[in-house]
Amino acid sequence: MILTLLDRLEEWLITFLIGAATLIIFVAVVHRFGCSVPVPAIQDLLIPINMSWAQELCIYMFVWMAKFGAAYGVRTGIHVGVDVLINRLPGKTRNKFIIFGLLAGALFTGIVGTLGSNFVWHIAHTEQVSAELEIPIWMVYLAIPCGSYLMCFRFLQVTWSFICTGQLPHHDHSHVDGIEEETIPPDVNWLEMDDNLHPHDLKHKKLGNGSKEGGGK
Amino acid sequence: AQPIVIKFSHVVAVDTPKGQAAAYFKKIAEERTKGRVKIDIYPNSQLFKDKEELEALQLGSVHMLAPATSKFGPMGAKQFELFELPYVFDSYDEVHKVAEGAVGKQLLRSLDSKGITGLAFWDNGFRCMSANKKIVTPNDMRGLKMRISSSKGIDAYMRQLGSVPQVMSFGEVYQAMQTGVVDGAENSPSNFYTQKMHEVQKYYTNTNHSYSGYAVIVNKKFWDGLPKEIRGTLEQALRDATAYNNKIAAKDNDESLAKVKKTGKTQVIDLTPEQKKSWKKAMLPAHKKMEDKIGKDLINAVYRETGFNPTTL
Amino acid sequence: MSVAIIFGLLIALMITGMPISISLGLTVLSFLFTMTDVPIQSVALKLFTGIEKFEIMAIPFFILAGNFLTHGGVARRMISFASSLVGHWHGGLGLAGVMACALFAAVSGSSPATVVAIGAIILPAMVKQGFPRNFGAGIITTSGALGILIPPSICMVMYSIATNTSVGTLFMAGVVPGLLLAIVLGLVAWYRARKYNYPRLPKASWTERFRAFRESIWGLLLILVVMGGIYSGVFTPTEAAAMAAVYSFVVCMFIYKDLSFKDIPKVLLNSANMSAMLLYIITNAVLFSYLMTSENVPQMMAEWLIAMGLGPIAFLLVVNGLLLLAGNVMEPASIVLIMAPILFPVATKLGIDPVHFGILITVNMEVGMCHPPVGLNLYVASGITKMGITELTVAVWPWLLSMIVFLGLVTYWPALSLWLPRMLGMM
Ligand code: NA
Ligand code: NA
Repeated sequence: MILTLLDRLEEWLITFLIGAATLIIFVAVVHRFGCSVPVPAIQDLLIPINMSWAQELCIYMFVWMAKFGAAYGVRTGIHVGVDVLINRLPGKTRNKFIIFGLLAGALFTGIVGTLGSNFVWHIAHTEQVSAELEIPIWMVYLAIPCGSYLMCFRFLQVTWSFICTGQLPHHDHSHVDGIEEETIPPDVNWLEMDDNLHPHDLKHKKLGNGSKEGGGK
Repeated sequence: AQPIVIKFSHVVAVDTPKGQAAAYFKKIAEERTKGRVKIDIYPNSQLFKDKEELEALQLGSVHMLAPATSKFGPMGAKQFELFELPYVFDSYDEVHKVAEGAVGKQLLRSLDSKGITGLAFWDNGFRCMSANKKIVTPNDMRGLKMRISSSKGIDAYMRQLGSVPQVMSFGEVYQAMQTGVVDGAENSPSNFYTQKMHEVQKYYTNTNHSYSGYAVIVNKKFWDGLPKEIRGTLEQALRDATAYNNKIAAKDNDESLAKVKKTGKTQVIDLTPEQKKSWKKAMLPAHKKMEDKIGKDLINAVYRETGFNPTTL
Repeated sequence: MSVAIIFGLLIALMITGMPISISLGLTVLSFLFTMTDVPIQSVALKLFTGIEKFEIMAIPFFILAGNFLTHGGVARRMISFASSLVGHWHGGLGLAGVMACALFAAVSGSSPATVVAIGAIILPAMVKQGFPRNFGAGIITTSGALGILIPPSICMVMYSIATNTSVGTLFMAGVVPGLLLAIVLGLVAWYRARKYNYPRLPKASWTERFRAFRESIWGLLLILVVMGGIYSGVFTPTEAAAMAAVYSFVVCMFIYKDLSFKDIPKVLLNSANMSAMLLYIITNAVLFSYLMTSENVPQMMAEWLIAMGLGPIAFLLVVNGLLLLAGNVMEPASIVLIMAPILFPVATKLGIDPVHFGILITVNMEVGMCHPPVGLNLYVASGITKMGITELTVAVWPWLLSMIVFLGLVTYWPALSLWLPRMLGMM
């Protein structure tokens, strides 16, 4: 229940951030364009409006989006690695490497989260503010500890579910919404789908390259 | 024994006056300490960018910096914005009077509480307006999109003139001018010439409206931890490097302006005393706007040192 | 010594299959912890400031624009337009595929996105028309790579971040090589289609062509928004990317009406997901290059390479080899961000133009995306065609070979890249 809420919150936050940042820059560009239109009435109206903060706010929103989006990315399996070699290994050894990789992710993000907390604590005791918006900089930097700890949690979550179910989240780059499945040609050899190059969940054994993982077709 | 390594990072090219002065400081400091100190210079934002170097210095990741004085506002030392007061300095002599006098000492001391020791001020030059439209009177600035570096003070006086300031990184300026994303900018002659802005700006007006300079600073904990005699030697070396910097900065600006004129691509406009007065008058309200940041007393102290009198304008 | 340790550790961590961003980060952490007195706090600072730059924000904006275009019907209309123009020649739909990829590349900054957008529609159609599957797959996998050579290009944004080269100039420099590569790929398709007598479409009348053009005009106008906007000075490259996102949203939502309001959050979320992944690699790569700068590695490498007495010609050969090798195991973002800061100083010392060098790296990345074992275009095409990677590799080779020849051309003929930006007075 709380986990679902966390999931939704994470998704809503990054969706909002990317959408809002785009709108802000759009407005700022239109504003600047309007200022140089040689119509005095429009100029009088627009020039006094200060949009200098737009760029800075956009950058900060994107940094927050990047930190929380990276945590979301663990959940969707979008972080890519060089998995060519370990995919050639027998199933059990490969699984050990996968778990090692996931735990390394948890370790790194955990350390960064802690370093980030220290850093934010340190900066919070200075009077540092951001250059344009003049918001206390430690609030802005809070993205590092929060995002990293969340990411650490996501890595642990994925590790746990991999151990329990053998499933890994896998990002499908070729998936497009709105392209219906019927358009796939009839002569498709479904057994060739598996490329043996991505870490995939163990439940996909039935789709081929079975012998290496000890699974049958 | 292992030499003491001082990491000195800056954000400009090695052949600029600041870059040369940093190299000169390295040379004399290493010579005079007879190799007990080694200074590693990281130019061109190699190690830290403009935005992060002050925090990096406070963390101790780098020991020595020379950031523009406009960078100190966001870290809570808003008094430093007094350097951006338009037309408060008429010459380098007036700047040095303030920077090396009581006001300058007060500014540098105010950094102590932030874990920073301020050592010196280095000149860069006086900013002048440039654009693709002829700028002679302050009214000509109206509606112009002007590139500025991030600073509340500069933003204030640009708005005072009715232009639309646009914060943009230095590296993007040339292209922005060439394509017309911005109409103009304010730069010292040296920056104007080295960034080849004469190729993309038709007019350069010698407004000399504000001073641009750097403060040389070190991490306080690191500095206080150095052996006393080394600190003394370095301080003396820095005094010599400061003189060196200010000499070549002034020379470089004069030469750059001559070179810009020689290219014939940019028309350099000189202002008559009357015209200059109208600029001063037009930009004066910015002083009032910056008052609550810098402090009225401090502004008056600067007025006294430089003999600036707002009532005579 | 420290160079060997840094790279040894990085490679050891990478081959365990963990995300590249994590292996970069862990390398930096372990090195800083054990071998230097650089305060570890600066890691946290760098992880924030590493992407605190407006130029970088072009990446999420271009991804968002690309996602709107892929989901909407822009790609479909571009394909009809391209078929009406070149469909009656040898290779028919295949040629149309190359042209549609080039058109789509001019509005999208990513190669895999181009493969998906065009491939998902044209490949089933080609199979239905009687083309062998590997012909279409070969064309789309390689032509999709135009996505990063024809501007806008996320790869060029990455290069400009790593080397401080102007994005606008890089974009302009990509135009001529991009068009030339499209022609080369089209020629290979045409030649093979003629040899094996593949089907052709009936010749479209000028009325039909005009109608197809009018239908696709809103998508094509985006080229004007991005390139025209940058060149005419209405926007900076980053702003152009943001405008492209808003524009494609408007086109897909209100003009083509291929997208409904309830799809918007999904498109935004997917774009945020992809952008965050790239931004995460960037932050960690910035951290990594901070470690290298701090250890003076780029300078040492530069001195070492120059001491070997390599001239520009030999150096560029080495660079190509190195990048093609890296293209075997890594994706472009990581390669550019790790390699460019090391190779760039040497290139400038040898008098190689930064813009030319950027185009050369981009073409290398294109080749890398089309061959196994790691090649994102290949994966995507495999997902669409349901073909195995081995089979696809065989299908791709005629075009891949021509791309490698083209790479040689780009490497040793700088004017090909530099002519247009020079003409326009951008450099
Ligand atoms: Na493109
Ligand atoms: Na590859």
